[in-house]
Amino acid sequence: MSETGLLNLEVKNRNSRAMIHGYYEGAFKYTRPVRLDDDSLSVYLIHVGGGYVDGDTYGSTIKLEEGAELAVTSQASTKVYKSPSKPVEQRTTIQLGADSVLEYCLDPLILYKGAKFIQETTVEMEPNSSFVYSDIITPGWSEDGSNFQYDWVRNKLKVYQNGKLVLFDHLFLEPDDELEGVLQLEGHTHVGSFIIFHPKASRELGESLYESVIELYPHVRFGISDMEGGGIVVRILDNRTQTIEKVISHIHTFARKELLGKGEVSWRKY
Amino acid sequence: MTNGLMPLLQLSDSQFPSGAFSHSFGFETYIQENVVIGTESFKQALIVFLKKQLIFNDGLACRLAYESIENGRPEDLLEIDHVLFATCVARETREGNRKMGERMAKLFMELYPSTDLSEYLSWIKEKEAYGHPSVVLAAVYHSLNIPKKVAVETFLFTNLSSLVQNAVRGIPIGQTDGQRILVDLQPIVEEAVQSIINLSSDDLGAGSLGLEIAQMHHERLNVRLFMS
Repeated sequence: MSETGLLNLEVKNRNSRAMIHGYYEGAFKYTRPVRLDDDSLSVYLIHVGGGYVDGDTYGSTIKLEEGAELAVTSQASTKVYKSPSKPVEQRTTIQLGADSVLEYCLDPLILYKGAKFIQETTVEMEPNSSFVYSDIITPGWSEDGSNFQYDWVRNKLKVYQNGKLVLFDHLFLEPDDELEGVLQLEGHTHVGSFIIFHPKASRELGESLYESVIELYPHVRFGISDMEGGGIVVRILDNRTQTIEKVISHIHTFARKELLGKGEVSWRKY
Repeated sequence: MTNGLMPLLQLSDSQFPSGAFSHSFGFETYIQENVVIGTESFKQALIVFLKKQLIFNDGLACRLAYESIENGRPEDLLEIDHVLFATCVARETREGNRKMGERMAKLFMELYPSTDLSEYLSWIKEKEAYGHPSVVLAAVYHSLNIPKKVAVETFLFTNLSSLVQNAVRGIPIGQTDGQRILVDLQPIVEEAVQSIINLSSDDLGAGSLGLEIAQMHHERLNVRLFMS
């Protein structure tokens, strides 16, 4: 069966220069590599067409060879529309060679009325590689102004270090009477996640990250904890994409400064 | 071998030293934030905990672990154990489950030893498995010939019962109010068992976002009655 969109991206280091190879088919494209202000290499993923619809399937692979570094983002939000007969599926496999660094920060996922969406992202990390990830899940605008018109979304992020599962972030949202209540979204509509895996992402670093976020955003509902294997997980609940984006951008800058020795990320898209 | 009733009563007893006495699994945060303030708010939170957290995590894990043993595939316990550990993003809750799992595995090897439990405990000792109460109890229920649905129902009820005991101390609420919650919850537990039977292994580990944040916040509470 052919995919609605297919994308393959490989980064190699040749004589300390990063070389990007790859291909795409169907509704997926990526831009030519762009150098950001701090000289890090970035690629923008593009969906040509209006959005994801019923039964679409998308597959991506991103592979960084030993020592390679790349920042990946999307060019716009991912919009999922009505999926009456079959859910939309998107599968992404990421392989990170030893000492490689991938920053993978996606624009919001917007789920419109009747959307059913399965997203599965698998990350295989070799020793001393680093992975920085963010995503935002939001309900789409609806005619009658009510929240949560989508059917359901299942978002799975699995991170393996040397073949061992170290994080399985499994989010399943199916709107019902309880979704906005206690233990669930607690009056919020938007969910943001930020994940760091880095050899130096310690509990202490998670603690100082918490302090720096709470100081700037005392009224935002968020939580930070640490995983074994050098992982930090941040969860944010809010009602506005912009607020979550600000918090994510702050955390990203913090992670770049403390762990990657880089400055603030300056995506070339706004 | 007895008919299984007495062991079931014994390991569901709120005085059974499982370690659950020391863990609120995020509820203490809600108590301190004045979200859970009394019988009614606690009961509502507990119902959502059952329907949205226990079903997809510990409850489903218990069923899947039971079936792995039933089908002669004890090696699948390792995968269930790893998924339970890796899906729990709040450190204290993850550590709490791990410690309770290891402790219960050792204790049950003394009380009701079985080949499957022995194997799981050896994996924990060799650090191939982390340890989790759902897997331990599934092995114990199976070795005692407790039917699967009864096992899952017992497992859910025991979890809720220990949270009620903790709420009696932690909120606090009255003993009678606590017991009344357990009566009111019984039909919902039965529905939950049926939901768990209908779920697939793909559903394992789906988290509750607000609860996750409450569990993360627990690390930073100043005064704490519970370890998670």
